[in-house]
Amino acid sequence: MNQKELMSTLQTIPWFQEISPTHFEKIAGIAGLVEVDAKQELFREGDPEDYLYIVIQGRIAIEMFVPGRGRVRIYTAEPMDVVGWSSVIPVVRQRTAGAVAVLPSTLVRLDALGLRQIGEEDCALGYIVMRRMANVVASRLLTTRLQLLDMFSHPSDGEGIYG
Amino acid sequence: MAEPFLEIGTTISIQKTELDHLITRLAHMGYQVVGPRVKDHTLVHAPLKAAAQLPLGFSSHQEPGKFTLLKGNHNNYFEITTGPQSWKQYFFPPKSEMMKFQKVGGDHSTWQVTDAAQDAPRYAMLGVRPCDLAAIEIQDKVFMRDEWCDPLYRSRRENAFIVTVNCNEPCGTCFCASMGTGPKATAGFDLSLTELENNFLVEIGSEAGRMALSDETIAWQPASAFLLNAAKKELDAAIQKMGRQLPDPAALVDQLLGNLDHPRWAEVAGRCLSCASCTQVCPTCFCWDVTDVTLLPMDTITRVRQWDSCFNPDYSYVAHGNTRPSTRSRYRQWLTHKFASWYGQFGSSGCVGCGRCITWCPAGIDHVEEITAIRATAVRGANGKEGANS
Amino acid sequence: MTLPTPTQTTTCHSQHPMTPLWAELVDVQAEAPGVSTYWLKFKDAGIRESYSFEPGQFNILSVPGYGEAAISISSDMTSPERIGHTIRLAGNVTNAIARLNPNDTLGVRGPFGSSWPIKACKGKDIYMAAGGIGLPPLRPVIYHIMQNRSDFGEVVVLYGARTPADLQFTAEYDSWRAAGIKVLVTVDRADESWDGTVGVVPLLFYHLRMNPLNSVAFTCGPEIMMRFVVYEALARRLPEENIFVSFERNMKCGFGSCGHCQLGPYFVCKDGPVFTYQQLQPYFNVENF
Repeated sequence: MNQKELMSTLQTIPWFQEISPTHFEKIAGIAGLVEVDAKQELFREGDPEDYLYIVIQGRIAIEMFVPGRGRVRIYTAEPMDVVGWSSVIPVVRQRTAGAVAVLPSTLVRLDALGLRQIGEEDCALGYIVMRRMANVVASRLLTTRLQLLDMFSHPSDGEGIYG
Repeated sequence: MAEPFLEIGTTISIQKTELDHLITRLAHMGYQVVGPRVKDHTLVHAPLKAAAQLPLGFSSHQEPGKFTLLKGNHNNYFEITTGPQSWKQYFFPPKSEMMKFQKVGGDHSTWQVTDAAQDAPRYAMLGVRPCDLAAIEIQDKVFMRDEWCDPLYRSRRENAFIVTVNCNEPCGTCFCASMGTGPKATAGFDLSLTELENNFLVEIGSEAGRMALSDETIAWQPASAFLLNAAKKELDAAIQKMGRQLPDPAALVDQLLGNLDHPRWAEVAGRCLSCASCTQVCPTCFCWDVTDVTLLPMDTITRVRQWDSCFNPDYSYVAHGNTRPSTRSRYRQWLTHKFASWYGQFGSSGCVGCGRCITWCPAGIDHVEEITAIRATAVRGANGKEGANS
Repeated sequence: MTLPTPTQTTTCHSQHPMTPLWAELVDVQAEAPGVSTYWLKFKDAGIRESYSFEPGQFNILSVPGYGEAAISISSDMTSPERIGHTIRLAGNVTNAIARLNPNDTLGVRGPFGSSWPIKACKGKDIYMAAGGIGLPPLRPVIYHIMQNRSDFGEVVVLYGARTPADLQFTAEYDSWRAAGIKVLVTVDRADESWDGTVGVVPLLFYHLRMNPLNSVAFTCGPEIMMRFVVYEALARRLPEENIFVSFERNMKCGFGSCGHCQLGPYFVCKDGPVFTYQQLQPYFNVENF
């Protein structure tokens, strides 16, 4: 991994552009760049939470296995989206879903334990990271709610009184 | 002495006995005379051949959900004011044929359309109350617009002869004075009557009105100052006798549309039956539905228009569901349309203060009371700002 | 920047707005399960010549004996000799239309309603967010942009449907992209065939960098989707008068007479279906209004 490549990649991430040089360096210290092929697995449900990922380019699918239905794709993370936010949230102990690349993808990988430690030591940086994670979780929650409401369902699908 | 002559804008007087001659005169002019008659313990609008068929000596006691016909000793024809019927059924019939489709040709047939035959009756409406005249003028704006005009409404409206009768005895649920529509008609009539003890004052409103009186069978005199004074006294007294007040109706636009989450809506919905009686008796309600009526072979189809009501459960049905599934939402729609949204659509209130919706509500809901309660404690104004209080 | 508040731009072409003109069904194009585009051609040559519509307007299609249905026009404004209506089967009338054979006759009343003000948006960045059957009413806008591409800045279609099979006009996306229109597509629920985005339409805004002073948003789809699209547009500081929504209500007459489509003081058939968010803002979050 080329350090220069890592640095310039980190600088393309919008929320990294807003943090101070000191904070940037701390995060860069636990960051790495990783490339995956299409269909390559990033992690599985139940895996230990080792890394937080930021998609730079490509597409990562979040999937959950349902017996009888197989792997159900519930979400895709697009460039600049976060994968594995639960690794930074204390209460979540293991991966809640699986992640697999749909397209050949490049990701920034942050060591989750390292990130949590930095956050404990440097609360200002910790707050910035948590604020960003809160936005991610809020956005996922809204998406999940709208998916759950099945807003495209139609009475002619056979539900409701007009079906 | 100069011969007195009839002139538009002047007021003359006739003996009450002349009313018969007026009815006959209108019939001879080619009109179907219709007016109030007592039937089934109430007042309906029906054909008239003679003054004796009018509700002479009758009056009514009206309150929310109650109409009581009273027979008295007085010799007034028009002391009783309104019943459940308005005059809208003559211009906007409850059911009418719009057009017929006739299938023409075999495979890939097409349709021949014939517009409904216009029977265009000529009605002479005797006994239109000032509130009802105002309602007719409100419906004129609904059915006859610059962009298009309902042909059925227009032909009947153009052919109609209107005799208004000013109200000396408001019925108990009326509030025309608050709405600015009565108790005296000021314009828009052919003739306007004010009933006094032995006479009618007749104000001439149009050329047709003038022509109706210009007949040797009708004896008239110029209205004396004494009679004009008596009429004015009656009018002033009538204004004081209004059953209800609804001050500043124009302020209701913000007060109702800015209060769409007021708890009173839910409270009224607990009593409202969503029966649509109010929309039927209301002289300005105009909603209609259209259906294709046919027999099984389906080669002749009649497109029929009929009255509809925003209280009907499937009035607001769309492919993905019903946008007003609850009585609360439908009652709110009716009231806010009538008293608020109407201003935005047609430039005036939709209500003329006739009181029918109050009298004929089987649940006895007093809509003026409901409005007054909502506007008194504004919950939230339009655009989320503080509600406007009257 | 002040854009005109949408108003009805054309009156209907028949002598009375309740009288249908007659058209022939010339083609049916299946778009998705339960959804097809019905192509109509007026029988009368004079009407064929004079008929025109603006994007976002609708016709009321009439199958005598079954009734009528209001359907948005989804075809190219510059080719009105054949008019396309993309219809989802929902009830008696739409099913009656589906049972018609080629060259059968049906009635057409219209066009009615207000339109997307795309012609007044020269120089602007255009964002069209649609969901499900909400894309057809925007397709005439897309065609206009393709025919006048240099009139506009960034143009993006943000589109989603429930499943990949429900996506409309998929065969055309590449031609739109070739014309310089960004097309972002998502589905609520993927199937095994889908390698695209899984998520919801409002989320697609996160892919964009918008200049609020120069942006116009058009949205059409389920009301809940439009609500969240509007919130995303507002969060990106688009002025309320530059966000346009297309509402749907029960329509019978099409010209503001029968009363059914009312939304507050508006008749959705006549003052809409296209409204600015500013017009609807007082009623937007009032349930069952």
